[in-house]
Amino acid sequence: MHVKNSNTLKESSPFIRVGILTWLRMHKAGNIILVFGTLQVVAIIFSLIFPENFRYVSKSNMQVLFRAIPPLGIIALGVNLLMISGEFDLSVGSNFTLTALIMAKLFNNDVSLFAAFFAALLLGAFIGGFNGYIVVKSRVPSFIITLGTMWFWRGMILVVSKAASESFLPGGFFEKLFTISIGPMQVQFLWLIAIVMFTWVLLERHKLGNHFFAVGGNKQAAGALGINPNRVKIIAFIITGVFTAFAGIISTTRVHSISPIQGEGLELQAIAACVIGGTALMGGHGTVLGAFLGAALLYTIQDFLLLLRAPGFYLRMFVGIVIVVAAILNQILRKE
Amino acid sequence: MPDNNNDLQNRPYIEMKGIVKDFGHIRALDYVYFWINPQEIVGLVGDNGAGKSTLIKILSGVLQTTAGKIYIDGKEVRFESSKDAMEYGIETIYQDMNLIDMMSIMRNIFCGREETSRGGFLKIKDMRQKAMDVLLKGITIEGIRTPKQIVRTLSGGQRQAVALARAVYFKKKLLLLDEPTSALSVKETKKVLDYIKQLKSEGASCVFVTHNLHHAYMVADRFVILSHGKKCLI
Repeated sequence: MHVKNSNTLKESSPFIRVGILTWLRMHKAGNIILVFGTLQVVAIIFSLIFPENFRYVSKSNMQVLFRAIPPLGIIALGVNLLMISGEFDLSVGSNFTLTALIMAKLFNNDVSLFAAFFAALLLGAFIGGFNGYIVVKSRVPSFIITLGTMWFWRGMILVVSKAASESFLPGGFFEKLFTISIGPMQVQFLWLIAIVMFTWVLLERHKLGNHFFAVGGNKQAAGALGINPNRVKIIAFIITGVFTAFAGIISTTRVHSISPIQGEGLELQAIAACVIGGTALMGGHGTVLGAFLGAALLYTIQDFLLLLRAPGFYLRMFVGIVIVVAAILNQILRKE
Repeated sequence: MPDNNNDLQNRPYIEMKGIVKDFGHIRALDYVYFWINPQEIVGLVGDNGAGKSTLIKILSGVLQTTAGKIYIDGKEVRFESSKDAMEYGIETIYQDMNLIDMMSIMRNIFCGREETSRGGFLKIKDMRQKAMDVLLKGITIEGIRTPKQIVRTLSGGQRQAVALARAVYFKKKLLLLDEPTSALSVKETKKVLDYIKQLKSEGASCVFVTHNLHHAYMVADRFVILSHGKKCLI
């Protein structure tokens, strides 16, 4: 009787006959995979038909994309974890710049490169943890708290930098680690892929990931099931802080300097990438793949418009439209 | 008041003595004495605001008492959080059922008590198999096909089944059910009640909070009636 039961269960399982479309519909990030995939196919076909006018599949263009996506991508992956746990971090843009600035300052004052590197990561962790601590202790929405810390750390950047850019010329192995290119591929992008995989394992295959979803999905229930929501949220804030610092380091190593106004607006771009990728604003739902493709999509669209030689001011308008449309689509799909 | 129960043989499994709970200046529970024997189903009934849910929440560690003591097997215990209560084998199924909507059945059953390898990595296959077994063994409510199903897509009865399956899997000694049948159809209610009886035969005790005296009457060994925070009937 028992055996028979489990057989019928297997037969009626939707995972037996899987077509690509069913798989997409079942996949939590199916929406963004479909949109992103379609865009890529269309772009590749166009660039093969009009190789002179639309140089999408050219080595230089691919290099541009593989360099441009990682900083936002890495931040978005952290912000994604945080949003799944039901919180926001608006201070990532300031964190991005301050940590890189401190690293550059330390290095330029004869601190060893790797010490400066770890100091930056540590400061990122501190900024994240500090946000988290205030949010869970005060119970004020993280949107407000991190709005405050965003300005606070931005002010700190101006104090430390005296409103001037700081150069960063590490050279040697360190520079290679974050800038080398292998054909059209850029090592920064490989770092991003590594972090995608790390975050995926954390979110989908680790206990902590389950707790992120639980706390963001239903804080009371998670608490009643013996999870400490405050601890989980602070961990999510710290991860976001470290990822952001790492993104700042990668970006600064490539451009060789850090300016005090850098990173402004990154916080909203990161949230936009997550929303496009299907992460719920209220927490409890989201995928790693979605946030990654969301960030990639933002840059891909900008790249399309640049390749089509659209005047610069259309860029933002178009990105704005994409965000709104994506959010509406995700809303509809989630209701189904 | 049967305050000095020295008969070890008939000692209640859980005793709550002189429980007081104030919310601001409102007294929700007023020196309540409450006990549960081993393998006993207690029907806790009373009007809205009588303090039923408050009592349950104290027993499950969600709320702390203003005054009063809780004894398990004669030893005094303090529940600072629901985790403490869970360690004593007390599982609560609330009205809102404590499920996380956007998560799968499997992840809900094991939420907070995940089976992991060293380093905290989830044993997904093991947990999925166990979730499947427990869903098949328990109340097989139609429509649950796989433990991968997202809880939000389930009906009230199915959700109740998942919440109960969780309690069964972790072999709880005491099950606190807060209005377990309020969101269920007649058929589903019968299954849940049968299930509670089955749990009793397996050695668990149960406190069954309900408005519906008829449902409680079908399973309860004893009734406790609360009115305005006071116990008015055994």
